Amino acid sequence: MSDSVVYTRRDFLKLVGIGAAGAASGCAPPQAEKLIPYLVAPNDVLPGIPYWYASTCTECPAGCGILVKQREGRAIKIEGNPAHPVNRGGLCARGQAGLQGLYDPDRLKGPMVREGGAWKPVAWDQALRLATEKLAPARGKVALVTSHATGSFHALCGEWATAAGGTHLVYEAFAHESMREANRRTFGQASVPRLDFERATFLIAFGADFLETWLSPVGHARGFATMRARRDGGAFVAVEPRLSLTGANADEWIAIRPGGEMALALGMARTIVTEGLGAAGGSGAAMDALSAYTPEAVEQQTGVPGATVQRLARAFAARRPSLAVAGGIAAQSEQSVALHAAVNLLNHVAGNLGETVHFDRTLNLDAVAPFGEVQNLIAAMGEGRVDALVVHGANPAYAVPAWAGFVPAMDKVPFKISLSSVLDETAEHCDLLLPSTHALESLGDAEPLRGVYAILQPAMQPVPLFDAKPAGDMLIALARGAGFGQSFPDGWRPYLEARWRPLHGRFGGGRDFETFWRETLQKGGVWEEESAATPARWTGAPVFASPELKGTGELALVLYPSPALYDGRGANKPWLQELPDPTTKAVWGSWAEIHPDTAAKLGVRNGQPIKIATEAGSVELPAYVYGGIRPDTVAIPLGQGHTAYGRYAKGCGVNPLSLLSAATDAASGAVAYLSAKATVTVGAQAMDLVVTQREKIQSERVVAEVIPLAALAASAAVPGVSHAGSHDDSLAASAVADSMHGGNADTSHRAPAHRAAHAASGHAPASGAAHHPVHPSQTRPGKYTEPMARPPDYRPPAHAVTAFESEHPARSGRQNPVTEGHYKHAKHRWAMAIDLNSCTGCSACLVACHAENNVPMVGPEPIKRGREMHWIRIERYERKLDGGENDVRFMPMMCQHCGDAPCETVCPVYATYHNPEGLNAQVYNRCVGTRYCSNNCPYKVRAFNFFDYAAPEKPTFAFPEPLNWQLNPDVTVRSKGVMEKCTMCVQRILEGKGNAKDEQRALRDGEIQTACAQTCPTQAIVFGDLVDPESAVSKASHGERRYWVLGDLNTKPGVTYLKKVQRPVEPV
Amino acid sequence: MKRALALVIVAATLAAATHALSQSFSVQLGKNQGPKQPIFYSHELHAGKLGMDCLYCHTGAEKSPIANIPAVGTCMGCHKLAATDRPEVQKLAGYYERGEQVPWVEVYRLPDHVKFNHKRHVKAGVACQTCHGPVEKMPVVYQYSSLKMGWCVSCHRQNIDHPEYPAPMDCLVCHH
Repeated sequence: MSDSVVYTRRDFLKLVGIGAAGAASGCAPPQAEKLIPYLVAPNDVLPGIPYWYASTCTECPAGCGILVKQREGRAIKIEGNPAHPVNRGGLCARGQAGLQGLYDPDRLKGPMVREGGAWKPVAWDQALRLATEKLAPARGKVALVTSHATGSFHALCGEWATAAGGTHLVYEAFAHESMREANRRTFGQASVPRLDFERATFLIAFGADFLETWLSPVGHARGFATMRARRDGGAFVAVEPRLSLTGANADEWIAIRPGGEMALALGMARTIVTEGLGAAGGSGAAMDALSAYTPEAVEQQTGVPGATVQRLARAFAARRPSLAVAGGIAAQSEQSVALHAAVNLLNHVAGNLGETVHFDRTLNLDAVAPFGEVQNLIAAMGEGRVDALVVHGANPAYAVPAWAGFVPAMDKVPFKISLSSVLDETAEHCDLLLPSTHALESLGDAEPLRGVYAILQPAMQPVPLFDAKPAGDMLIALARGAGFGQSFPDGWRPYLEARWRPLHGRFGGGRDFETFWRETLQKGGVWEEESAATPARWTGAPVFASPELKGTGELALVLYPSPALYDGRGANKPWLQELPDPTTKAVWGSWAEIHPDTAAKLGVRNGQPIKIATEAGSVELPAYVYGGIRPDTVAIPLGQGHTAYGRYAKGCGVNPLSLLSAATDAASGAVAYLSAKATVTVGAQAMDLVVTQREKIQSERVVAEVIPLAALAASAAVPGVSHAGSHDDSLAASAVADSMHGGNADTSHRAPAHRAAHAASGHAPASGAAHHPVHPSQTRPGKYTEPMARPPDYRPPAHAVTAFESEHPARSGRQNPVTEGHYKHAKHRWAMAIDLNSCTGCSACLVACHAENNVPMVGPEPIKRGREMHWIRIERYERKLDGGENDVRFMPMMCQHCGDAPCETVCPVYATYHNPEGLNAQVYNRCVGTRYCSNNCPYKVRAFNFFDYAAPEKPTFAFPEPLNWQLNPDVTVRSKGVMEKCTMCVQRILEGKGNAKDEQRALRDGEIQTACAQTCPTQAIVFGDLVDPESAVSKASHGERRYWVLGDLNTKPGVTYLKKVQRPVEPV
Repeated sequence: MKRALALVIVAATLAAATHALSQSFSVQLGKNQGPKQPIFYSHELHAGKLGMDCLYCHTGAEKSPIANIPAVGTCMGCHKLAATDRPEVQKLAGYYERGEQVPWVEVYRLPDHVKFNHKRHVKAGVACQTCHGPVEKMPVVYQYSSLKMGWCVSCHRQNIDHPEYPAPMDCLVCHH
């Protein structure tokens, strides 16, 4: 047996493996696929070509204009409508995620009826018959509850309720009734004014989260960014006990005692009046009330030093026009009308009324019911005065605080019908479900602002998996069936058209109705450019009183709306659940924010459980230790803790509304979210706080850079840099002026790198160098330190063009860029400029990127291991979070498309490489998943598919039917084992280049926009071609604030950042 | 004994691999035999003898990345009147009347992870026949080109310096 070959187990397996591999490589012939053509092709529809439909976003009451992209009959992307007066092209994360409401896998498949506690599917005619049978005898005792809808649907609901002899209640959790009531009392107008952030030179926010959920965040963000681009002023002070996302953008944070905002506003107003700084004279009862608010008294009440009160007041009065805004949900206390009135008074004495506070194109929230009316309905239901309840869109069973007793009262109503398209908490308590179509499948209209008549139009046929009907048609059918619908036309569409006839007369301009209607659908609505202002004047103020918090706890409980989930309506959208919260960077859950001192007293660390108890109840949550909150305060986000609503929402986080006891605003009846004191103890249950960014301190390596305003002004005097900047009051314009200077010497088309080198010669080394000492090996004379000698007329090939010349001497082996083959034909170098001064951290770009690029949402477990798949993230860096001067920096970070990319050199299979147009490309079918590239990427922007997120048969499948309908057919859905990352939306680049070729013209600057740049409400991201010296990105990249992140690595990124400007609050 | 077992395993797996490989190639190349379609539609007749323009039916080829299979309604545009006595046309009319789409069998299947844009190629002057072969002589259309990457690249390489339409050689143009 000596010659017998002994196969070890390992060799045996190898042999089998070779055989199996051979068999697999020539696997069975692919199964023949079927090609299914249209039966009859619709006119003008061509497969492969996207179509865009203008509509209106219904994710919050702001009513932004949207354009919905449709491919082969499916809506696949939402973008802001650039022509729309509300948002002018931007769109927030919630608006971007509207598609996941349309393709919600938990939408109702058809009408259902409750039979003995269980839901039973039922046919439509049967369901409608049952509904009308119950509605007919209930006439006179019918209640209709809808969410905020303006325009024709609101009118229909009103008429419907009148005909039924019942009531119509517009329920919105965030109704802003205190603001409307305060405006009625002080300005004589119960409406929400248009706030001109753009013109303001000094902004102070008393708890108003105007960049998150307050009124019209996208519109505000746009104006705010314009204000922040000013060289003169543009300072922003946030007054709030917990530093919100909005507050994080402030230059100064006044960490005020919860409920103290009103006293500070009045103290400022008093200083302005007594020092004679204001425009309006001090008189009347309000002025008498002011006398009590001396700086000392304010200091005693709020903890804000008297000197600060005076300083802020003087700054506020000196910088005109200024603007004070008040009252987000987090600041809605039992005296919120008093707070709004106080801030109105402050605006009045500073002369801002008519300057930055306008009552012309007001936000149309007038129909939203104050909470008092909701309580009336609850009482009526509880006393048996409602026989039938019809609910559409609203989810009061979740969003009304438990103390108000909505659910028990609702259960007493004999018959309840839900027109909701999902089984939410309210629908769960109903008897009959008549699912209505999603807003993206419906025809309708809206009047989001006074005088703006916008259109909602279906962007696609209703998703056939869900048997739903338009809500308008259903209401009319129910009315007719129940015998009170004689006044209604045949259906919703004729009703809508009848409502548009008068508008045709006003805006039609002599065209016939059909033409007018078609043009309106194309444009997204009709509006006049200007609206007449309703005169507003100071009419007096209510009694001012500060709120008292109830309870025996030692910490004030602050409940704030989640920027992603709003009042909870976004909770079943995985894009929004997996959107890192801009403050904590936490995903998929709730948390409680406590100050480090509080945490130290309790002995808990970040992520450990704490128990928050009030008189009404208690919850256990992981602690988030946050410097941006007062030590006497604990804060919990709203919007989570659903008990129904769908697979993603149910059981995720907690609903802190259960912590509230009965408390409403004294004057307006609004829910007092800030009304309780809480006791915080160590919790028992271990729980997870899943965060995507643990460390928020930059340490010695500064990646998000700032520049003081003074340094910026001084740099304008540096030789070689244009002085034009100092005369201009806009930072953005100054960046243009600087680059123009470089171009003046030679107007011919010069390579930007050259021009940049010219401009850079006058600059001091970028502060990046100052932060990171250059390693000795980089300066030692030798092959890799001496600059390469270039002929004077040297022009780098397109892909090697950089925004500016690197300040670091280190040389890489690639100093000779490729010029052969197809590389010599390239004409563009795609690049981005990101203005950190404009970025507010709102994270809309993330959701836009997910939607455009088929990024899978992986859930909390992989994220705990750092395996989120996002292609772009917003990094948050904090410093000095203890009130006073504020320094929070947000930085969008995606693949930097480096000229000398560290990832490219380590890929063993050449799956990642530098393309002729400067993109760092990733070829999925070449990738074998070594992950070397990710290891070598200094920016950590690559995501690896650890699991099969696109395979329906796998448990990790991320797109359950019909969420997969949303997938962009122009982008590969990646499979397990491959690396992926930002492509700068290469599919859009190819499409744009193709369009230009078809029209035989050169590409226009701005024609191609990445998804993130397109949606950015503040236009912080600029995308374009660096080879074109006139492009917006070239000009921005040559501004004085430019720098590269980790520039000392000499990666020559294609993404140039512009430093955030730090500005003093006081006038210079 | 063990050696014999090992040899058998190796031989068997190699045989299986060879068979599978040859199978996969036979589908891609050589046999000039198209799949059986639900309706015997002849390109030879329509594009050849009748001289119809390819773009009459495949309307997307010069406007869209997708060349487009004609809608049944497009066929019926002529066949409501033309050749209504032929059994295959009657089959077509049957589909149309029942409101049923014709389940055509795909002939050209692009491998995964590749995007192909018909419009760009047609606009650059590439004739349909360059890739699809002499369709006007095919009674049954078969896969004329391999659609393998080497085949794509060979043409692109030849046209890399085309004066008007230089063919890109960048991976990202097709793989994104």
